[in-house]
Amino acid sequence: MQTHKRISLSLLLTYAILIAGAIVVVYPFAYMVANSLKTGREIMHAPRALLPEEPTLRGYKGVFEELNVLLLFRNTLIVAVAVTLENVLLSALAGYAFAKIPFPGRDKIFGFMLLTMMIPGVLFLIPTYVLMYNIGWVGRFEALIIPGAVSVFNIFLVRQFITGIPDELIEAARIDGARETTIFRRIILPLVRPALGTVAILTFMGSWNDFMGPLLYLNRPDRWTLQLGLLQFRGTVPGENAEQIWALTTLITLPILLMYFFIQEQFVKAFANVSLSK
Amino acid sequence: MQLPASVHSPPPTSSRLLHRVRQYWWGYVFVSPWILLYLVFGLYPLVLSFFLTFFNYSFVTPGDRTFVGLGNWIRGIEDPLFWKSLYNIILNQAVFILLKNGLGLLLAALLFRVTIGARIFRTIYFLPVITSTVVLMTVGDNLAGPGGAVQLWLMDIGVLSKPVFWKAYDTLPMIIIAIINTWKWFGISTVILLAGMYGIDPRLFEAAAVDGASGLQIFRNITIPMLRPQLFFLLVVDVINGLQMFGEILSIGFNVYGGIKNQALTPVLYLYAQAFDQANVGYASTLGLMLAVIIAVLTFLQFKFVPSRLD
Repeated sequence: MQTHKRISLSLLLTYAILIAGAIVVVYPFAYMVANSLKTGREIMHAPRALLPEEPTLRGYKGVFEELNVLLLFRNTLIVAVAVTLENVLLSALAGYAFAKIPFPGRDKIFGFMLLTMMIPGVLFLIPTYVLMYNIGWVGRFEALIIPGAVSVFNIFLVRQFITGIPDELIEAARIDGARETTIFRRIILPLVRPALGTVAILTFMGSWNDFMGPLLYLNRPDRWTLQLGLLQFRGTVPGENAEQIWALTTLITLPILLMYFFIQEQFVKAFANVSLSK
Repeated sequence: MQLPASVHSPPPTSSRLLHRVRQYWWGYVFVSPWILLYLVFGLYPLVLSFFLTFFNYSFVTPGDRTFVGLGNWIRGIEDPLFWKSLYNIILNQAVFILLKNGLGLLLAALLFRVTIGARIFRTIYFLPVITSTVVLMTVGDNLAGPGGAVQLWLMDIGVLSKPVFWKAYDTLPMIIIAIINTWKWFGISTVILLAGMYGIDPRLFEAAAVDGASGLQIFRNITIPMLRPQLFFLLVVDVINGLQMFGEILSIGFNVYGGIKNQALTPVLYLYAQAFDQANVGYASTLGLMLAVIIAVLTFLQFKFVPSRLD
C-alpha cells in the first residue's frame, strides 16, 4: 500500500514534468500563430494573448500583396523539389552499387566517402563561393541544385537499407542475364521505397529550412527563398511589418509541420538513424 | 629468406581484375554522380582553400591578387576579433551542450518510465527540431526581447524589475542564444538517448532493483554508463556543428559583426564578414582553415580522452 502510493506519486511528478516540457515547446508555436491573426497594435500591446481580440487576416493579405511571397514560395519550391528528386534517384543508384555490386575498388571509395563526412563544412564556404563566382552561378538556382544533387548521408542511409536485401534475389536475376539497370528498376526500387521516403523527407525539409545556401547564392530579391525573405523583411525597426512577419513565419512553418504530423514516425526514426549509423 | 611464390595467396591477375571491372562496370556508373560532384565541389574547393590562404584576394578585383605567404596566418593568430569570436562560441557551446544534453537526458529518463503517452510527448519535443532556424530565432527574439512574453512574465513574478536589453550586454547574447538553441535541439538528444535506454538489457535494471538499489542509484550506475556511446556521439557532433554556428546570429537580428561590441560574433560569422563585407577572401579562407584545425584538434582530444565505449 505504502509503495503503491509512492510509485503513483512519482509517476504523477513524471507526467507533470513531461507536460510542462510539452507546454514550453508548444507555446512559441501557439504564440506565433496567435500573433499572425492580430492587428499590429495588438501585437505590440498584448503579445502574450493567445486569443486575438479582433482576429484579422491582414497580415496574410499583406504578405501576398506587399511582399510578393508567391515568388518566394516559387523559388523555395524550385530548389527544394529539384534537390529532393535528384537525391532520391542518385542516392538510390549509388546506394545499390555500394551495397550489392562488387565492382573493384568499391570498399575503398565507400570508405573515402564516409571520411569526407568528417570534414567541417566551414572549410568549403569561401572556396566554393569563389568557384561559383568564377563560373557565374552566384544568383542562380544551379548554385544550390547542382552541388546539392546527392549527399553522402543519403547514400549511406539507402546503402544500409539495401544491404538488408538478400543477395540471392539479385544473383538469380544476374544469372538470368538481367542487366544492372533492370535489376535496379525491377527489384531494388520497389523494395527500397521506405528508405527513399526518408531521404525525400529529410532532403526536402533541409532545403526548405536552409538559410546559409540562399544567403550566399540567391541573395537578390527575385531569387530570395522564404527563409531569406523572412530575414530581409524583418527590417531593423522593432515592430516593423509586425503583422506580415508573424503571418510569414506561420506560412513558412506550416507545410513542414503538416508533413511532420502525417509521417512523424519516419521523421524521428530518420534522425535516430543518423546517430546510430555513425 | 625466400618463400616459394605459391605460399602467397595468388594476387588477382590483371585479366581477372579486368574481367570484374567489365562485369560490374555499372557500379562505377551508379556512383559516378557523387564522385564527379565531389571532385568539383569538394576536392577542388579544398585545394583552393589552401591556395587562397597565401594571397590577398577580392572578388571585386580578382586581377590584383598578391602573394602574402603566411601573412594571413600571422594576421589570424594576432587578430583579437578572431579570438573574441572563439571565446564567444566556446561560452555559447559550453552552456548549450550542458543544457541541451542535460535536459535531453532528464526527459528521456522520464519518457522511459511511462508507457502511456510517451509517443505523443516525443512527437511534441521534436517539433522545434524540424522548424527552421530563421523562424525559431525570429520567434525567440520576440519572446526574449524587452517587452516580449518571457520578460513580461519574469517581471510579473518579480525576477526582473525592468526590461532587459540583453543584446547590448557583453556575455548575455551568447547565453540567451544557447538557451533558445537548447529549446530547438533538445528533442534530438531525447530521442537518441531514449533509443539508447530501450537498448539496455532490462535484466540489468531488474537485478539492481532486486539488490535494493534506488532509482537514482540505478540511473547513475547503470543507465549513464550504458549510454556512453550515445552521449559520446552527441558530444562529438555538438562540438563539430556548434563551433560552426552562423545563421542563428543573423536570424536573431545581429549584424555580420555580431553587434557593436562583437558580443555575438562567431568564427564563421567573422569569416563571412571578412569575405563579403571587407572583400578579404584570402584572409577569410585562412580563418576557415584555422577553425577547421581547432575543430579537428578538439574532436581528436574527445576520441582520445572521453570514454566512448561500454566497460
